[in-house]
Amino acid sequence: MRSAAADDAAVIESSRREPERFAVLFDRHAPHIYRYLARRAGPQVADDLVAETFLAAFARRDRYDLGRADARPWLYGIATNLVGQHRRDEARQYRIRQAAAAEPEVPGHAERVAADVTAQAMRTLLDAALAALSAGDRDVLLLIAWEQLTYQEVSRALAIPVGTVRSRLHRARTKVRQVLAGTDAAATYEEITTNE
Amino acid sequence: MNEMELLRELARETPLPAPAELDAARARLVAAIATDPAAGRSAPVAQAVMYQPGPASSQPAGPLRPPAPAPVRTAVRFMHAGAVGTAAYLIIALAFLGDIRAYHLTVLGHHLTTAQLSHQRPLIIALVIAVGLVMIALWLWMARAAGQGRNWARILSTVLFGLATLGLTGNHGVAQVFCAVLTWLTGLAAVWLLWRPASGAFFKPQALNRDYAGPAGGADRRP
Repeated sequence: MRSAAADDAAVIESSRREPERFAVLFDRHAPHIYRYLARRAGPQVADDLVAETFLAAFARRDRYDLGRADARPWLYGIATNLVGQHRRDEARQYRIRQAAAAEPEVPGHAERVAADVTAQAMRTLLDAALAALSAGDRDVLLLIAWEQLTYQEVSRALAIPVGTVRSRLHRARTKVRQVLAGTDAAATYEEITTNE
Repeated sequence: MNEMELLRELARETPLPAPAELDAARARLVAAIATDPAAGRSAPVAQAVMYQPGPASSQPAGPLRPPAPAPVRTAVRFMHAGAVGTAAYLIIALAFLGDIRAYHLTVLGHHLTTAQLSHQRPLIIALVIAVGLVMIALWLWMARAAGQGRNWARILSTVLFGLATLGLTGNHGVAQVFCAVLTWLTGLAAVWLLWRPASGAFFKPQALNRDYAGPAGGADRRP
C-alpha cells in the first residue's frame, strides 16, 4: 500500500483543480480507514465516520502539505480525532467484544475448543486493557499496532512530537503488559498459535 | 509473543470491507465533490467519478444528494412509527368520544353541556378526524423532508415536538394517555437523532465545503 500511496500528494494537488480526483484517494484508502474505525467504534458508527473522515479531508485538501507523499497519516489523524468525538461508542465496542468473548463457541475438537477459549480470553483481556488506557495512549498504541504506522507517521497524524509518541507508546505497552501478566492466557495463546 | 504481536494477531481477524459497504460513504463524498466550486470545470471527470467502483456497485450514484446517515434513517423510521401511533391515537380518541361525558370536553375554555355535546357530536367527530389526519400528514411530511436532508424539516420537527409536549396534558383514559406518551417518546427519539453530530453534515451539505473544517484538533498541522 505504501508504494500505491506514494503519489497521494499528486492526487491531492490535482484535486484542488479537479475535485473529482479526490475520489481516487477514497478508493485507495477508505477500506483501511473503515476497518480501523470499525475496530475502534464498531461497524455501524464506522459507516458514518469513514464518510466524515473523507469529507473533512476533502474540505481541507488545500491545506495539505504536498511534501508528504503518503496521505495515510493525515487520514488516520482525522479519523482518530473523529473517534475522539465518539468515545462512548468506542467504550461500548470494547464492552460488546468482551461480552461476545465471554460466550464460548460451539463444541468441537478439544484442542480447537481450547484454542478458541484461550483466544477469547485474550480478546477479553486486551479489550479490558485498551479500555483502561487514556485516549492519547490508546491512539498511539493502536495506530502503531493495528495500522502499522511508524513513529514519524503517528507524530504527523496526531500532531505531536515523536518523543511524545515514544513515551505514550511505552506507557500504553507497559499497562497492557501488566494486564496480560496477571494471567497465563498470553503464554497459552502463544503456545497454541505456535503449534498450529 | 509480546503485546504488540498479540494486538496485531487479533486485529487480523477484522477483514477489509466489501466495496458495497463503502458505497454510502463514497456517495456522500461524491456529492460534496459535485458541489465544490471547482467541480464544474472538469465535467467528463465528474461524470466518471459518479460511478461506483467494484462489482457490487456498478450503478450510477444517482442524485447528488448523499444518502442519509444511519441516525437520520432511524429518525425517519421513528417518524413513520409516529404516524402509525397517531393513527392509533385517532382511533382510540374516536372510540372515547362515544363514551364521553360533557364535563370532560372543553371547547375554547367553555365546558359543554350534555345537550350541546349531543347536538355537536358530528362536528366534534369531524374536528377530531381532521386534526388527527393533519397530524399524520405532518409526521409523514417531516419524515420525507428530513430523509431528503432539508434542514428546515429538522427545525420544524423540533418546534412541532415542543408544541406536542405542551399538549400532552390534555388526554383522558389509560389507553389514550398511553398512546399519547408512546407517540411523544417516538417524537423525542426522532428529534434527538436528527440533532446528532453524525446528522449535521447531511443537513448542511452546501456549507460543508466552505465551512466544515473537520474534527477539532490539528490533524493536518505539520510539526
